[in-house]
Amino acid sequence: MLHQNLEWFFPHKVEEAVKLIEQQGVILHGGGTRILKTSPKSIKGLVDVGKLNLNYIHHIDNHFSIGSASTYADVIRYSKKTGKLSMLARALSEAASTPLRNRITIGGSLKDFPIWSSLYAPLLALNAQIEIEDKHDKIISLEEYLETGIIKTKHLIKRIIVDDIPNIIDGVKRFALIRFEYPLFTLAVVIQAKQKTVSEARIFITGVKGRHKHCKRAEHFLIGKDLNDENIQHAEKHFAPKFVSDYKYSAEYKEHTAKVFFTDLLHELKGTLK
Amino acid sequence: MKLPFKVNNKSKELEILPNETLLHVLRNNNFTEVKCGCNEGECGSCTVLLDGKPVNSCQVLAMSVQEKEITTVKGIGTLYTPHLLQKSFVEAGADQCGFCSPGMVLASYSLLKENPKPTREEILVALDGNLCRCTGYVKIVDAVEMTAQKLQTNNLEME
Amino acid sequence: MFKYVNQPIEKIDGLALVTGEEKYTDDFSFNNMLYVSVMHSGYAYAKIIDIDDSEARKMHGVVEILSYKNVNQILYTTAGQGYPEPSPYDTILFGKTMRFVGDNVCAVAAESKEIADEALKKIKVTYKELKPILNLKKSEGSSIIIHKDDGAFPKIPVFYDAKKNIASKVEANVGDFDSAFKKSSRKIELDFYCSYGSHCAIEPHASVSYLDVRGRLVIISTTQVPFHVRRIVSHVAEIPVSKIRVIKPRLGGGFGGKQEILLEPIVALMTWRTKRPAKLVYSRREVFKSTRCRHEYQTKVSVGYEADGKINALHLDALENAGGYGSHALTVLANAGSKTLPLLNKIENLRFTGMGVYTNLPVGGAYRGYGATESYPAYAQAIDMVCEDCGLDIVEYYKKWCIKSGETSAIFQALGEGKEGVAMTIGSTSLVECLDEGAKLSDWYEKIKLYGPNSDFNKGKRLKRGIGMVAMMQGSAIPEIDMASAYIKMNDDGSFNLNVGATDLGTGSDTVLAQIASEVLDTPVESFIVYSSDTDFTPFDTGAYASSTTYLSGQAVRKCAEEIKKQILKVGAEMLSLSIDEVESNDSRVTAKENIKEEVSFAEICQYSLYQKNQFQIQATASHISPKSPPPFAVHFIEIEVDTFTGIIKVLNYTATVDCGTPINPVTAEGQVEGAIVNGLSYALFENYYFSPHGKMLNDTFGKYGVYTAFDIPPMKVKLIKSYEETGPYGAKSISEININGALPGIANAFYNATGKRLHSGPFAPEYVLTVLSAK
Repeated sequence: MLHQNLEWFFPHKVEEAVKLIEQQGVILHGGGTRILKTSPKSIKGLVDVGKLNLNYIHHIDNHFSIGSASTYADVIRYSKKTGKLSMLARALSEAASTPLRNRITIGGSLKDFPIWSSLYAPLLALNAQIEIEDKHDKIISLEEYLETGIIKTKHLIKRIIVDDIPNIIDGVKRFALIRFEYPLFTLAVVIQAKQKTVSEARIFITGVKGRHKHCKRAEHFLIGKDLNDENIQHAEKHFAPKFVSDYKYSAEYKEHTAKVFFTDLLHELKGTLK
Repeated sequence: MKLPFKVNNKSKELEILPNETLLHVLRNNNFTEVKCGCNEGECGSCTVLLDGKPVNSCQVLAMSVQEKEITTVKGIGTLYTPHLLQKSFVEAGADQCGFCSPGMVLASYSLLKENPKPTREEILVALDGNLCRCTGYVKIVDAVEMTAQKLQTNNLEME
Repeated sequence: MFKYVNQPIEKIDGLALVTGEEKYTDDFSFNNMLYVSVMHSGYAYAKIIDIDDSEARKMHGVVEILSYKNVNQILYTTAGQGYPEPSPYDTILFGKTMRFVGDNVCAVAAESKEIADEALKKIKVTYKELKPILNLKKSEGSSIIIHKDDGAFPKIPVFYDAKKNIASKVEANVGDFDSAFKKSSRKIELDFYCSYGSHCAIEPHASVSYLDVRGRLVIISTTQVPFHVRRIVSHVAEIPVSKIRVIKPRLGGGFGGKQEILLEPIVALMTWRTKRPAKLVYSRREVFKSTRCRHEYQTKVSVGYEADGKINALHLDALENAGGYGSHALTVLANAGSKTLPLLNKIENLRFTGMGVYTNLPVGGAYRGYGATESYPAYAQAIDMVCEDCGLDIVEYYKKWCIKSGETSAIFQALGEGKEGVAMTIGSTSLVECLDEGAKLSDWYEKIKLYGPNSDFNKGKRLKRGIGMVAMMQGSAIPEIDMASAYIKMNDDGSFNLNVGATDLGTGSDTVLAQIASEVLDTPVESFIVYSSDTDFTPFDTGAYASSTTYLSGQAVRKCAEEIKKQILKVGAEMLSLSIDEVESNDSRVTAKENIKEEVSFAEICQYSLYQKNQFQIQATASHISPKSPPPFAVHFIEIEVDTFTGIIKVLNYTATVDCGTPINPVTAEGQVEGAIVNGLSYALFENYYFSPHGKMLNDTFGKYGVYTAFDIPPMKVKLIKSYEETGPYGAKSISEININGALPGIANAFYNATGKRLHSGPFAPEYVLTVLSAK
């Protein structure tokens, strides 16, 4: 339960919002879903991002700029209309549920990173960058955001930047038995290929021990090789994310299934290679 | 405190606390057609439309939606002037216990408004936030398809 | 041909439901109302040494606190069953011993829910933790005794041994199993485990109470059994029955979960003591943890048979986990035998043994299927194994050996509900047609030829397909025990009040009962003002359970309407100056048989009887008990695909053919089938309770527990195949429960067809399936 004397702020400028959240117990409010999930009494104030004009998706030059107040549904709708950002949209369209997707913001999801997040793996695989504002305005890679612990600091995410790289093939898979369930893991693969040969690969999985894993060994193995059945079979040996057991599934089962999904996904990507 | 909200096309002064969810505020102000099944955003009984889009009102802090159009199931049709969609729900037998119905109707309404000729897959996606334990969903999906069909046959716009 | 019965009449409450007009329990609020919060035990087994509520009582806005300190220690059962209940009296509303995580510790009534919740945090409870039993197989005869010295006792003369943790025990023998089994040339044994499951009615449990202007206690509640609520609240809260009125408004689903008296005594005591309205609504987590669930079961079936498939002997054994209290422990157990064993009635030697044991886990209760869900997986897999072994087509096998019209099974008499059963001959059945039609609709013969573990289709493949089937029976009401009644009176304009104690859980029974009355009186459904489930204004009905409403309450309505019809005809004849034999009722009129133009309308008849001559109120009441419990039958064919790499089972097609006698309302009847199938499927594939090492349920939210959405349902074909049950209203039998039982055995048989392996434990979650697949 949130506190009855909760104070609300509706700033019009990012700088004002950032200043407000410097106060103890004051946090940003996007869609509110995450705040209501935990509802800590310690929250004294909420800074609503609704008037900051951060709800947009632009395609400029060779990148996409996604305002942090955009909801999952906004991204899905944009993708449907333009045919762009399809992997991200696919991942988000399977996350949560229609009414929640209308409320969950990209920024809020990035800041909170629940273990079942469907957002991180695709964005990491796409090598997304984010623009954050704390005391300074800066653009950093999403991976750096996680690795350096900036995620834990007080800041405001303004937007997410995803390069529009032509000729990439990408795919995402999540493990969930039923539609509305917390997925065990989400796996995303982005590959650039010349003919059949992989020139670049980015492979990320979330839901693992330590939340996310950049699967560099599998990437290294694949780069320079043809994406054929034999190499896919070998690649699986270089893909070994570690999981934690929970009450429903053992770590071993998750590891096994992640490998199955990994090879399945590579086979699917192979099929889309021209 | 009392604050103005826009509910079902009318301006309303609603009694509200700053920490309250939209669900709480609506039910406390006699909009009992908005149901509470879990209070955790997982069943969809509390679905309302915010600017035409379905949301779980239990997962929305009311203070953040003062400027938005809020629609409850009574906002699209009442007992005396039911919406075509609501009539289809009854005709198809999509109404068993009825507890999920307000949410189901609103989720379906929002879909048909945006997409009057949805595919079956699109219907299933649109309803993926609304749980029903009675019907097995068959007749609910039928009701949505039936409505789309009626719209088409009679050349009607979704109102 | 029928005019109003067997017609897809729209639900009379339909439009009010889909426009949000109808009121459910939590939609009722009263001035000056108190909000109640309950503290539930965090320990699986503990004694309360002391409760210090002094800090809470000092809080502004706290009005009353109930605990063992100020609530009389009265034993009762929370099971909302007929009196005397077949469930043991082993529960105390606020006792000193906590027997599962979720047991009642104490309750606070305050000016707001927030204050009540805050107050709970200020109550200091000192516990003495006891070592719990968290495994059903370790309970019987354990040195840990769960009901020790609390005086728990059975209300009816049945076996009960609390010292050994035995909550219930059932045994039935037909013929001589042991020697027939021994003599059989072939034998199989199969065990099967059924997990806990939650009803997941979307409306959580809630109760509101207040005192009316004459100081009587009114309870509005989410209940399937308003009359049992009145009786049990009277007992527990020590308030005379005459001072209690129980109302069930619209109900947001029940499935057996609201056949328990849990919240009502708490609000009753709060209101009775404070003289103020009180409301208690459980959170979803409380519903999962603290209310009732499907019992956990370990079953075993042993079959002795011959090479031609003839079964000589069959023994079904069931070990049931009652949880901390024995609610429905005896009757669910008995039904595990009585709803399966008569199906193949030509087996001469049958044995059923069952035991329900106490553990310190959540309490089982009534849940759609009621024992049959738990026993069919073992029973129907065993039949499949016999057919497999003897090279017989299982569809033909069921056709040959299943119970037919005019036949009986000794089990009907041997297994009752807490006493001997009732001998019964089958009247109506379309089971054979259901088998044929289901085989046709599901392409059984093509697919069974195509699939199989060693088929070209499956061999060496990662994705293997299979098809499986199961035939089932259930019952319709509890014979010679359950009673329903109805009251009808006629109004000036030819309309009728139909007051029934029957409880519409959302099934549409208000509509179905009106259709039955309509058919008798030949007047439209709209002429009936149906009012149900109010102990002050409707006559008694045991409530909505045991698949009884259409069959039992429906027959009471039919009898009542027939009595009304007699009175109408009498008045009509008088008005037409004819004798009663010379008139008939005809489309809301009484007409002369000879000359249809000589007529008086129902409105004229009522006006005459109320205002003009020989005045009296046209009214009647009727009661009904059933001498038998005619089984509905169903056959399910399930086609699946198994991903042998991940263990994920995908249901490709689900076909159900169902014999419910005459479907009074084919649309709502189909809805019952579809809803039950989907619930059965999710129970078969993933629903479960996961516990911490200390017995605390871990997946206590919809998101963690898992409930199907529209997105998850497989293609379904449902066909109702009529029969005519002479003892039911217009040939009707029940339909609500039976179809939840098919998914577990049907999928298990399909799995065998796909992989050549047997499943022994529900749910068939992927990791378990993978374990089975990788086992040698």
